Amino acid sequence: MDETTAKIKQFIVDEFMPDVSVDELDSDFDLLTGGVVDSLGLLQVVAWLETEFDVGVDDSQLGPESFRTVDAIKTFVDEARGTANAG
Amino acid sequence: MTEPFFDHFAAQANSQPDAPALIWEGEAISYGELAEMAASAHAEIEASSLPEDSPVGIRARKSPEAIALILACLQAQRPFLLPSVELAPETLGKLFAQAGVSRVLEPHGPRSESASLRAIEETPSEDDELSQWPPAGGGEDISFMLTTSGSTGLPKVVPLPAGAVDRFTDWAASQFDIRPGTVVANYAPLNFDLCLLDIWTTLKHGGCVALVDQDRATNGGYLADLITANEVNVLQAVPMLYRLLIDVTREDGRNFPSVKHAITTGDKIPATSLEALPVLFPNGRFYNIYGCTETNDSLIHEFQGLADGQVPTNVPVGQPLPGVRTLIRTEAGEFLDGTGTGELLVWTPFQTRGYLNAALNADRFATHPEAGNGETTYYHSGDVVRRHDDGSLTLEGRADFYVKVRGVRVSTQVVEQAIQEHPDVIEVAVVAVPDELAGKRLHAVLRREPDSKLNSLVLRKHCAERLARTEMPSTIEIVTEPLPKTSTGKIDRKLVLARLEEVTHANG
Repeated sequence: MDETTAKIKQFIVDEFMPDVSVDELDSDFDLLTGGVVDSLGLLQVVAWLETEFDVGVDDSQLGPESFRTVDAIKTFVDEARGTANAG
Repeated sequence: MTEPFFDHFAAQANSQPDAPALIWEGEAISYGELAEMAASAHAEIEASSLPEDSPVGIRARKSPEAIALILACLQAQRPFLLPSVELAPETLGKLFAQAGVSRVLEPHGPRSESASLRAIEETPSEDDELSQWPPAGGGEDISFMLTTSGSTGLPKVVPLPAGAVDRFTDWAASQFDIRPGTVVANYAPLNFDLCLLDIWTTLKHGGCVALVDQDRATNGGYLADLITANEVNVLQAVPMLYRLLIDVTREDGRNFPSVKHAITTGDKIPATSLEALPVLFPNGRFYNIYGCTETNDSLIHEFQGLADGQVPTNVPVGQPLPGVRTLIRTEAGEFLDGTGTGELLVWTPFQTRGYLNAALNADRFATHPEAGNGETTYYHSGDVVRRHDDGSLTLEGRADFYVKVRGVRVSTQVVEQAIQEHPDVIEVAVVAVPDELAGKRLHAVLRREPDSKLNSLVLRKHCAERLARTEMPSTIEIVTEPLPKTSTGKIDRKLVLARLEEVTHANG
């Protein structure tokens, strides 16, 4: 598991599922359908991403699809960092 | 005019005076002895020159003396209010005043002395203006007056006509084969409508009642011993009793071959309990009964094939008892012909004519025309049911269990049902917690099997296959301790919610 994925999983588990171990959370588990992250939870995730990975989150990017799974969040982070580096 | 209840009991006492009528604390009390206790209580009531036709109040925990006192009231054909002794004194006082009781009676004394009674000093008759007696339709034929559980405000007084009690006790005796030699366990407190089956049907038809001591009603070992020692044939209780028996027999491996009829009522029995029943009762038939204090038992479902693993996750409420009529009213106020959901309306031959306080009837009792002709006064149960293709009914939940989550109507009972379907879940409560943004958010507390590794992620995966997004609990709490229960053995959701709000306040 790469470092970014590990950090994201650790955050999700700590914040939303403290009774679950990080290993049990699959990268492709649907966090929204599973009710782990709701619309308020999304704001928490975004705020954390901004400080942890120093990425700016554009309002227009703030669709729930980008945060549906750990994989999706990682992709979002990678892309946001790529954009930042290029710019 | 049917024969009064007491005459049936007296006939049993004459024909089989030595047969056991009650088992209390391991000791048998014969029909002859119980009849003597009742006669002595009756003599005291007659001697106390109570105003004619006025009801009395009975404040009594379950005991042979209390049963004798009720028999005496039945013999005197005097209406009596039998509220829960657990109620606050002030509430009891209000209820007695509302029923216009001239005297509150309390049984006393060990059986060896006498079954005499004692009038309580503070009679509430000064509050005459509060009295609602007699009920609409007259008080002449009223016998038992029971109360609703009163989850909000003052419990409602439900006067039962003697004829209603008579018809019910005859139905119950024939349905569960209650006659001389039959042993029926009584689990519920004395003031519960369930006693009309356990205690009063049995005494009318010559069987023997094995009384569960209220103080030990959650002691699984005691309950198992009571069933075994007295070779109980008929068992009626809330699901909690079955759970207690399952837990205690898991350790010692025993079962209860004497039980022929096991009835669950009052709450939805979890599938995890249902599947264990055939092991617990190898010779048993199993039933779910739907009813309430106002109508008494209304619908019955007999489980088939439990031993072969045919365990329904959603227990059908069953078929109407003989003579019972039902209607399903949709949210739009129309009566449902085919499949769909709506509130269940019930009329039974065992029902009250209405609450003692007639002002309360408007919301609950309503007259609807019959297809043939005439009209019938139905009780609006507040329960939402679904009618399926095959005509069977299942419970969707209480109308008042519906909450709005982000503007969407959600039944917390549907959510509980989905969680309960997980094999590692023993019991669950879902409550709606006020939330500034969402209006309400759902919180689930569940108790898992002791050796289970169930966690919130596993449960969310389980629920995602069964529930809509809006039905998914925001927070899930998994515990290993039993959830708090009400005095009736149901999960105390109000207490669950109150504890949760306490924690939230403490943290906030």
